Amino acid sequence: MAGSDGALGASRERATDRPESDSTASGTALDADELVVGYPGADEPVVDGETLAVPAGEVTALVGPNGSGKSTLLKGLANRLEPDAGRVLLDGRRVESFGSKELARAVGRLSQENTAPDTITVEALVERGRYPHRGFFESEADGDEQAVDDAIAMAGIDHLRDREVGELSGGQKQLAWIAMALAQDTDVLLLDEPTTFLDPRHQLEVMDVVGTLRDESETTVVLVLHDISQAARYADHVVALRDGAVYARGDPDSVVTAGVLADVFGIDADVLETEHGPQVVPLGPADESR
Amino acid sequence: MVELFERLAERRPSGRVGADSKLGAVALASVAVVVGATLLQVSFGAYPLSLGEAWGAVFDPEVALSVEAWRAFLLSGDVPSWFTQQQHIVWNIRLPRILVGVLVGANLAVSGAVFQIVTRNELASPYILGVSDGAGLVVLTVLTGFSGLLPFVPVLAAFGGGAAFLLVYVIAWKNGTSPVRLVLAGVIVGTVFGSVQRALFFFIDDLSTVMSAQAWLSGSLLNTDWGEVRIALPFTVLALALAFTVTQELDVLALGEETAESLGMPVERMRFAVAGIAVLSTAAAIAVAGLIGFVGLIVPHMVRNVVGSESRRLLAGCLFLGPALLVGADVGARLALSPIQLPVGIITGLVGGPYFLYLMRKTENMGEV
Repeated sequence: MAGSDGALGASRERATDRPESDSTASGTALDADELVVGYPGADEPVVDGETLAVPAGEVTALVGPNGSGKSTLLKGLANRLEPDAGRVLLDGRRVESFGSKELARAVGRLSQENTAPDTITVEALVERGRYPHRGFFESEADGDEQAVDDAIAMAGIDHLRDREVGELSGGQKQLAWIAMALAQDTDVLLLDEPTTFLDPRHQLEVMDVVGTLRDESETTVVLVLHDISQAARYADHVVALRDGAVYARGDPDSVVTAGVLADVFGIDADVLETEHGPQVVPLGPADESR
Repeated sequence: MVELFERLAERRPSGRVGADSKLGAVALASVAVVVGATLLQVSFGAYPLSLGEAWGAVFDPEVALSVEAWRAFLLSGDVPSWFTQQQHIVWNIRLPRILVGVLVGANLAVSGAVFQIVTRNELASPYILGVSDGAGLVVLTVLTGFSGLLPFVPVLAAFGGGAAFLLVYVIAWKNGTSPVRLVLAGVIVGTVFGSVQRALFFFIDDLSTVMSAQAWLSGSLLNTDWGEVRIALPFTVLALALAFTVTQELDVLALGEETAESLGMPVERMRFAVAGIAVLSTAAAIAVAGLIGFVGLIVPHMVRNVVGSESRRLLAGCLFLGPALLVGADVGARLALSPIQLPVGIITGLVGGPYFLYLMRKTENMGEV
């Protein structure tokens, strides 16, 4: 993880109220500055003029209703969509200035839906995460084997290593994909709805990996979650989006409140204080007249 | 053959060693088929030889180790005057046809595998992106209007195929391409070019010209000799060498555009380059043998069933099995209805159709890569 030590030194304390104010290069891994991104051919940008500082070494969760621009913002952060305006800085450097493989060595992104050929082994899939570390004629680079082993161990899928991807359940597949993204060995990892469609056990297994990344590594994680309680429990920071704009941000206690839930998601909900952070009990759709 | 494959596919002790040994088995079986077919092809014909004589002639050190002979074969020099009649028939007439079959089979199978990965569609063939239609149109045009260009048909057909591929790309392009758009554009170009091509048939007066056009469109190894080897060999070596240098890229492309981009691949450029390699390979095959169907479709399928989807193994398996299927089918094409010789493309179609039927009955999720 070269070149990131300076950025990571700053913050390991559980920070509260540290949103955009200190977007200096030392505390943040990714900085979105007045970012406007949309899809080619569409009239309106999906994310319109957002400013977001992602703290280095911590877990940031993006929540919001369908179509609020979470995934689009994630793509913008990873330079997968060209911004119409604004810029994204990675360790203080514009993401467009990175070479494609160079960026892939710094930022990993797992998209919502992934399909692999059925007849490759889990190990082979994970190995493909090493692609950005290899030269054009190199079939194996230094550290590949170690990175693959570590990724498989961290995702907890040692027992699946030699199985074919086509034989796995949806949850096992997702863990294999996460292992692939881990093998990429990046300082920043962007996960787009990693737990959607999974059964509770596999959701917990996936979030365990996120928890491990938060507690035991210096990786910066940004993830989109539909489950607000999950966001509250695992993330250091929660960012709530509505209509392509950041509506609220901060630590889970300050964002996951009945008021924000009503405004952002349009639901009436009770928020219970528990030892696992605030838990949400949805009661029903809120009145439209908010 | 099919049974053997089934058994290999069922014994699936995953992991590297298992897959590599299965690849070895595919290679061995394929080599055996090619050698067997070679002996049959060499011994049967207007000048019959016993199998023993055929073996002796094929592995005749006097010719096989003669620099003079190989210079004649590969650099189109004069055939050495000391050739006996038997040596002449075996080495100058019957063997080059097999060699062309090997080159064509390898090209079609490998390019088919590449196209299946690029389009992320197991039912893709080397002809899916318009190559065959462009080549066919050029050939028909030459036959109807420009018979003076007949000697250049192989090269012109290859260029026609390449041009049609570029046209497909232009049609598919809109802020980049996608596998589905490429396939649709291929269908568009194929439909239009195919119509024009059929229309051109009505402008041919001479029946024998129609016959040769038909043979070319069905794909045939009839009358191939060392000249065809000389045309196909350099492009085959180049295209296949390139294909094997990008297996890692193919593996990443097979994960889909989004993932490939996340892994730092410039997907659009890479897809074009990889497809270009496959087009070169296809063009080399079309140039010498016309449009042989089904080989590029079923061989990657059979190989994938046995060795899995990892590109390096997949392409290596295709490199062996493609020639085996094509050379084996050509035995049938040449000898089944002797003295009438069928275009080999007819045999591969007759074999390929039922194989797909079998596959369709056996698997539920066909068509997904």
